[in-house]
Amino acid sequence: MAGNQQATQVIDHLFRNEFGKAVAYLIGKFGPSHLSAAEDAVQDALMKAMQSWPFGTIPDNPTAWIIRVANNKLIDQLRRQQKVYYATQLPETPEAPPIISDDLFKDEMVKMMFACCNPAMSTEHQLILTLKILGGLSIREIASSLLKKEETIAKAYTRAKKKFKEENPTLEIPTSGEIQNRLVVVLKVLYLLFNEGYKCTEGDQLIRKELCEEAMRLNHILLDKPETNNEWTRAHMALMHYHVARFAARTDESGEAISLELQDRSKWDAQHIELGNRYLNTIPEGYHNEYFIQAAISGIHVNARSYEQTNWAGILTLYNHLYSLKPNPLIALYRIIPVAMTHGPEVALSELSKLENEPLLKHNHLLSATRAELYCQLADWPKAKTALHEAIQKAENDKEKAFLNRKLVSIPGN
Amino acid sequence: MKQFLYLFRGGDEEYARQSPEQMQAHMAKWGEWMLKISQNDQPVPGLPLQAEGKVVYNGGETITDGPFMEGKELVGGYVLVEANDLDHAVELSKDCPIFEFGGSLEVREAVEM
Repeated sequence: MAGNQQATQVIDHLFRNEFGKAVAYLIGKFGPSHLSAAEDAVQDALMKAMQSWPFGTIPDNPTAWIIRVANNKLIDQLRRQQKVYYATQLPETPEAPPIISDDLFKDEMVKMMFACCNPAMSTEHQLILTLKILGGLSIREIASSLLKKEETIAKAYTRAKKKFKEENPTLEIPTSGEIQNRLVVVLKVLYLLFNEGYKCTEGDQLIRKELCEEAMRLNHILLDKPETNNEWTRAHMALMHYHVARFAARTDESGEAISLELQDRSKWDAQHIELGNRYLNTIPEGYHNEYFIQAAISGIHVNARSYEQTNWAGILTLYNHLYSLKPNPLIALYRIIPVAMTHGPEVALSELSKLENEPLLKHNHLLSATRAELYCQLADWPKAKTALHEAIQKAENDKEKAFLNRKLVSIPGN
Repeated sequence: MKQFLYLFRGGDEEYARQSPEQMQAHMAKWGEWMLKISQNDQPVPGLPLQAEGKVVYNGGETITDGPFMEGKELVGGYVLVEANDLDHAVELSKDCPIFEFGGSLEVREAVEM
């Protein structure tokens, strides 16, 4: 019961989530130019919560408490800096803010998402702003999850904040003419964020999963508002659910990647699959929607009982649709294995040969790895080994090399 | 059972550098510890203290703002705990999360009436 709740019983990630909410609320009220001061005020409020809540019980409404304290700290700070224009009336005494409805918070959060993901800024800046403000991560945590140096991220963030203020004179929901374009940019950042967490690279696995969850939580906020709940947001949600369903099965105990073919499907999370299905089913016809197609492809995989029993023809059709939407060589490459599974490895090899000279794919280990897979299907072991050696050469990091090496070792006659 | 006062000092500088997630984790540790050293199901009584205060001398003849001390000297809060004796009270203090960020803790027995 809230009234008796103790400091040990605060819900997971409350502080982190409240950080974004509170900053969004304060910026909405005082303006984007006070971003740094707002962040400091919220940080101070959380510190005060940390120091005082253990001595009693946590407030009935932790959000309201944090907002009230942060709001008053910010007012104090602004007053001290005399950054008050005559038009702004600062209250004389600490004020209790009005009861803030959930709806208002959602509004402020969505405005903040559009502001952080303003296409006038670089993708790097958009990502860092999203992680820092909306995600409530510290510079150190961001650096750790992006596998970069703390100093690099700190500098990038300083520049990003400057851009944020320049490009967002006010916080607002884009007009109906602009909103779809802006939404696509937000979804791109969320997908980038999700992929950072999903990648099988080194680093703290716990933080990686939290990045995925963070992307999904933010996507959820978009779903809660009618202006931003459309087939794009829902398809994107489905896609993330399908990926996250496989989170536990994609690495073994030593953290090595396991291919889709070999994953233990009993470890796939049925709840996430079900949620993905539900979101996808809300979209009757989605072939113009790249997230829909990607989600549908994932959906076929996760709903299949086994690699062999997968509806490969369905997947191939979807890839063909995707290719006509985005005729890029990488998609042509992804479609090769589905071709093999429906028309046989020789046909697939012949399709693959058309991609061999693609400049975008020349240094991509996946091209060689796919060729190796096809030769394995044909039991042409010498050619498979050659292709794998090539792939290992081109592989970008140790995890990928290790994965390919294990494949090499498993080939007969080695 | 005797009464002991714990006075907490320091840690503030480091606190300010923690991420929201880390602060929440630290807070949970305080909550746990205050239950652990308690003799019942409630956390031990105590309160945090505001940094700004006043020092009064001579019936109010002199009143200064303060005490202004270096961060690690300033008492940030207190807790009253029951223990068998001073050694026991010291023992109970060892798990206090104040040490995580370089703070310290003073243990004083309250005189029995």
